[in-house]
Amino acid sequence: MNKIYLWGIIFTAAMLGFTYMSFDFKHGLSDIVNQLAIAGAIALVLISVFVVIKYVRQMQTDTADGQLAAEKWDGIGEYLNELPMGWAIMFFLTMIWGMWYFTIGYPVNAYSQIGEYNEDVRAHDAKFTAQYGSITGDRLVEMGESVFLAECKVCHGLTADGIDGKAANLNKRIEVKSVKYTILNGSNNGLMGMEMPMPDRNGLFNGNSGALITDAEIDAVSAYVANGMTGAGADVFAGTCASCHGEDGKGMEYVAPNVAQFTPALVTNILNHGKKAAIGTMPKFDRLNAKQKEAVGAYITSLSK
Amino acid sequence: MENRPLEYDYTVTKMFMFMTIVLGIVGMLIGVILAFQLAYPGVNTILGEGLAEYTNFSRLRPLHTDSVAFGFTLSGIFAAWFYIGQRVLKVSMAESKFLMFIGKLMFWLYAVGVVAIVVSLFMGITTSKEYAEFEWPIDIAIVIIWVLFGISIFGLIGIRREKSLYISVWYFIAGFLGVAMLYLFNNMEVPTYFASGGVGSIMHSVSMYSGTNDALVQWWYGHNAVAFVFTVPIVAMIYYFLPKESGQAIYSYKLSLLSFWGLMFVYLWAGGHHLIYSTVPDWVQTMGSIFSVILILPSWGSAINMLLTMKGEWQQVASSPLIKFMVLGSTFYMFSTLEGPIQAIKSVNAIAHFTDWIVGHVHDGTLGWVGFMIMAALYHMAPRVFKRELYSKSLMATQFWIQTLGVVLYFTSMWIAGITQGMMWRAHDEFGNLAYSFIDTVTVLHPYYTIRAVGGLLYLVGFIMFAYNIYKTMSARPVEEYELQNASPMGA
Amino acid sequence: MFHWLEKHPFFFAVGVFLVIAFAGLVEIVPNFVQASRPVIGTAPYSTLELAGRHVYIKNSCNACHSQLIRPFKSETDRYGHYSLSGEYAYDRPFLWGSKRTGPDLMRVGNYRTTDWHENHMKDPAGVVPGSIMPAYRWMFTNKADIDTAYAEQLTVAKVFSTPYNKPVPMKDGSTVTVKMGSNVAEANAMALAEAKVIAADMKGQDVKDAVAAGKIPEIVALIAYLNSLK
Ligand code: HEC
Ligand code: HEC
Ligand code: HEC
Ligand code: HEM
Ligand code: HEM
Ligand SMILES: [Ca+2]
Ligand SMILES: [Ca+2]
Ligand SMILES: [Cu+2]
Repeated sequence: MNKIYLWGIIFTAAMLGFTYMSFDFKHGLSDIVNQLAIAGAIALVLISVFVVIKYVRQMQTDTADGQLAAEKWDGIGEYLNELPMGWAIMFFLTMIWGMWYFTIGYPVNAYSQIGEYNEDVRAHDAKFTAQYGSITGDRLVEMGESVFLAECKVCHGLTADGIDGKAANLNKRIEVKSVKYTILNGSNNGLMGMEMPMPDRNGLFNGNSGALITDAEIDAVSAYVANGMTGAGADVFAGTCASCHGEDGKGMEYVAPNVAQFTPALVTNILNHGKKAAIGTMPKFDRLNAKQKEAVGAYITSLSK
Repeated sequence: MENRPLEYDYTVTKMFMFMTIVLGIVGMLIGVILAFQLAYPGVNTILGEGLAEYTNFSRLRPLHTDSVAFGFTLSGIFAAWFYIGQRVLKVSMAESKFLMFIGKLMFWLYAVGVVAIVVSLFMGITTSKEYAEFEWPIDIAIVIIWVLFGISIFGLIGIRREKSLYISVWYFIAGFLGVAMLYLFNNMEVPTYFASGGVGSIMHSVSMYSGTNDALVQWWYGHNAVAFVFTVPIVAMIYYFLPKESGQAIYSYKLSLLSFWGLMFVYLWAGGHHLIYSTVPDWVQTMGSIFSVILILPSWGSAINMLLTMKGEWQQVASSPLIKFMVLGSTFYMFSTLEGPIQAIKSVNAIAHFTDWIVGHVHDGTLGWVGFMIMAALYHMAPRVFKRELYSKSLMATQFWIQTLGVVLYFTSMWIAGITQGMMWRAHDEFGNLAYSFIDTVTVLHPYYTIRAVGGLLYLVGFIMFAYNIYKTMSARPVEEYELQNASPMGA
Repeated sequence: MFHWLEKHPFFFAVGVFLVIAFAGLVEIVPNFVQASRPVIGTAPYSTLELAGRHVYIKNSCNACHSQLIRPFKSETDRYGHYSLSGEYAYDRPFLWGSKRTGPDLMRVGNYRTTDWHENHMKDPAGVVPGSIMPAYRWMFTNKADIDTAYAEQLTVAKVFSTPYNKPVPMKDGSTVTVKMGSNVAEANAMALAEAKVIAADMKGQDVKDAVAAGKIPEIVALIAYLNSLK
């Protein structure tokens, strides 16, 4: 066989193989854009190989002839050959096609990319809500993990450990320094879903002692909360914090959040309002929908259980 | 006297040949560094933490694009003009003191411009617009250089003996006019120092256009800068060097004619393909796509004309590495001018835009077509301007295969990387959430970035072999006594 | 005709020029005015933000980052609402980019925060394992060029009537007035006030000290700019 065909076949096979390798079969099969892109890639390979082989064959077997023009430039002559037919026809056809496309096929304002987008989103949302709108339990946690890995891991890390203190460690409800910071500075992140601040130390009375909370008490209660509501600060908590956060620290609806453990409601609130405290600032996440927030809440809750 | 061939004066050609090689090495070396930085980010601090400001990817990238496009490529084009121009117009630079002076002045201003650009880009003085990064004082210098180039072209044409213009000259004229028009309009900017009555940096300027308009003008420019730097003048070169080197006549005048005017007409309309799914009006995007597809034909016209010029001459292709460069060059030209239009189709662009598939496309054109053609041109010119035999044919052949392998590694790896990443960005998982965070789509590319870097390195190695071959040609071989007709003489 | 043109270079050149020139007009002119009209909710950049934008440009962040969200579900999920033409009304130059080696940053202010940027710009791979973004440590010591940012404000206010010191409508019906200093000293003072707000949320003591001493490191300006991208 002629070497050039062999090269053509090798090249085609290799490029088609590479294209096959790059295709995301797991997620991409039903996406029309993916299909068209691949079709384009394949067409590119096939047309190029076919055409190049055609001309190489002409170099190998044909001979140059025709009538030469009278003039020469620095010794370069020009044949007066006719246009290659295939080329001329294709040129003509693409121009006709172009005019058709622009005037009849898709006249100036017939297409709107935003219109197309809106339809896409509607279809996507409909499919999504129908199939997964009501999942619960482990499936919900699984979904939450998928949101977490796409959206949250850049700050909280793959294992939600907070990357050396750069963001909150979500495997644990809260750390000493965060509790302490909250007591010292108060907190006003809208975590209860509304403006409902927690007062700073100057507003925090210890009911047991009847006085403003002291530094030693702050240290104790911080350790108590961070250790999962165990240890020495129990009495301070009962005297100062329980009125809002509840005896067990599990929070009270409309009053104060759960400081004993994560709950989906707490996470949802944080995602709605963001949180700025000891470690840094956590942004709010408007672009997640309610189900996604619920799911990631379930996932985070599952981490520290 | 009358019957002796004209004594052409190649002083300016030689100067620009030298510049082509130097800037080629610099530009491609930076390209290789960039490629390794993406594969191994540690390379960002290759000269230490202290110099990282000047050696990191983002500071170097514009240096790469500008030094290969406006350094390597333009110098090659200038060298070729000052060679081809004299010969096809049948007039020697030696005949006009004025043109000689303009040519030299242009070179020296250009050299100063290169230094200014390198320094300013290293310092981070840039307007950020791709291929138009230079701040206003450099813009002014560039305009002056361009005017001198115009004088060189039209001056030589003015005193020509050959009444009608050869095809290459058409393309040089078009290249000159195109860049002039594009550059002026895209660089409309207001220097803030003067407008504010002397506050802040004197180098800084602000674009006359804002947002979407700025994007439209920029890509009207950017696309056509590709046309009038990477395409039109390179076509001018192949129309001269291929028939000249092979001794064959151009296959068809008619095809030359239709391809030329077709290209001129169609190219300018296609710029919208850089702005698909952006905020420019839908019809501008559609127009860009349509004209891109039509553009295949006038582009292929020239390439086909070249391949058919070699009809029946396979033995030349097989035996001469110099002709191989040009034949493979036109093949890559065909490949990238089919690839571009396919990437310009809306749905394909939805995947390809912003990914490495575009970078692959860029380098099919620049490495396989522009680079190969410029090296071929210099190889053809060297024995004639230095009056020596080319130093080594086998070195040239080795170089050809090394670089071809380099290009193949480059574009296959970017092909895979681009399509993979494009699809991962779009993917949703079974729950309707994004399937991948951005970083997942970055780490997956590591092997391809490595392969690309190796491919680029091979290309650079080939280029250094080329530089060496030319250097040895200049300095070592015996003198040629006679004007060479076609095929270049080569040592073993 | 073509043969004739090939013998008459002047007319040849005119012919070529005419053929290439008018496509530009058709492409650019029809939408020129409309595209530059700001949408409601878009305000000009403050002095510090503009200085940060210059840092972004100086370091060619646009070589790796786009600022253009295309109308695809996958992009709006990842980056937020697709881009609108009028949102770029005060962008000179535009910074859409053409390559996404890193993610889009059009609305990064919505979902990344000051301290995160601080950590990330200092050591990207330390925050995002596997990141190939270079570290930009020198930004923590280089000083931002406030004067030039102010010069640009003066220029755009004068030449393009960019509405500084004028109320600009917001989406919720309110208005915002972006102030511009009336002289260089005032502009610097205003930028410093902005910088203090940013520095308060940062962790690095060096940066805090510099700002307290009246100097503005590039990183502070850059973060002000990144936070403004919404
Ligand atoms: C007046 C009611 C009140 C009292 C008393 C109170 N808190 Fe709070 N606490 C709140 C509210 C309301 C929030 C949510 C604030 C917000 O939206 O940022 C909160 C938030 C917190 C948080 C942050 C939760 C998170 O994950 O972001 C911690 C920790 C906390 N409180 C601990 C304590 C401790 C310890 C005490 C006692 C020393 C205490 N609180 C006393 C009302 C109170
Ligand atoms: C730009 C960085 C960033 C991103 C993205 C981010 N977080 Fe956070 N997050 C933080 C920081 C910083 C904190 C700590 C705030 C503090 O307590 O100082 C935090 C705190 C939290 C907390 C509160 C912990 C506590 O003790 O109260 C929860 C819950 C949380 N993040 C969940 C998420 C979820 C879910 C996502 C993704 C959808 C996410 N975060 C994305 C930076 C981020
Ligand atoms: C070599 C390419 C490269 C350059 C140059 C670069 N970046 Fe990045 N950038 C990345 C990559 C890759 C990521 C994603 C991984 C990560 O978050 O580090 C990223 C992420 C980011 C993010 C986080 C965005 C998000 O949504 O998570 C910000 C903000 C950012 N870069 C800002 C900048 C700025 C500002 C500059 C210039 C001073 C810059 N980058 C230069 C490659 C780059
Ligand atoms: C028919 C001819 C061509 C068409 C229709 C075409 C089309 C395209 C398209 C659609 C893009 C991508 C835009 C994007 O999505 O970002 C592109 C980018 C590019 N092409 Fe081509 N192309 C053609 C020929 C060439 C040739 C021959 C070269 C070089 C030798 C070239 C160099 C480039 C460059 C440098 C870019 C990158 C621009 C950027 O910085 O974003 N193109 N082209
Ligand atoms: C040794 C060979 C080369 C190597 C290794 C190389 C490598 C690179 C790399 C790594 C990039 C950046 C891509 C990115 O941002 O992801 C790039 C961009 C680019 N290079 Fe090269 N390059 C080489 C030669 C050339 C030559 C010879 C030319 C032109 C004649 C060229 C023109 C360009 C252009 C126009 C871009 C910008 C592409 C875009 O923005 O889409 N390169 N190159
Ligand atoms: Ca400029
Ligand atoms: Ca680009
Ligand atoms: Cu283009």
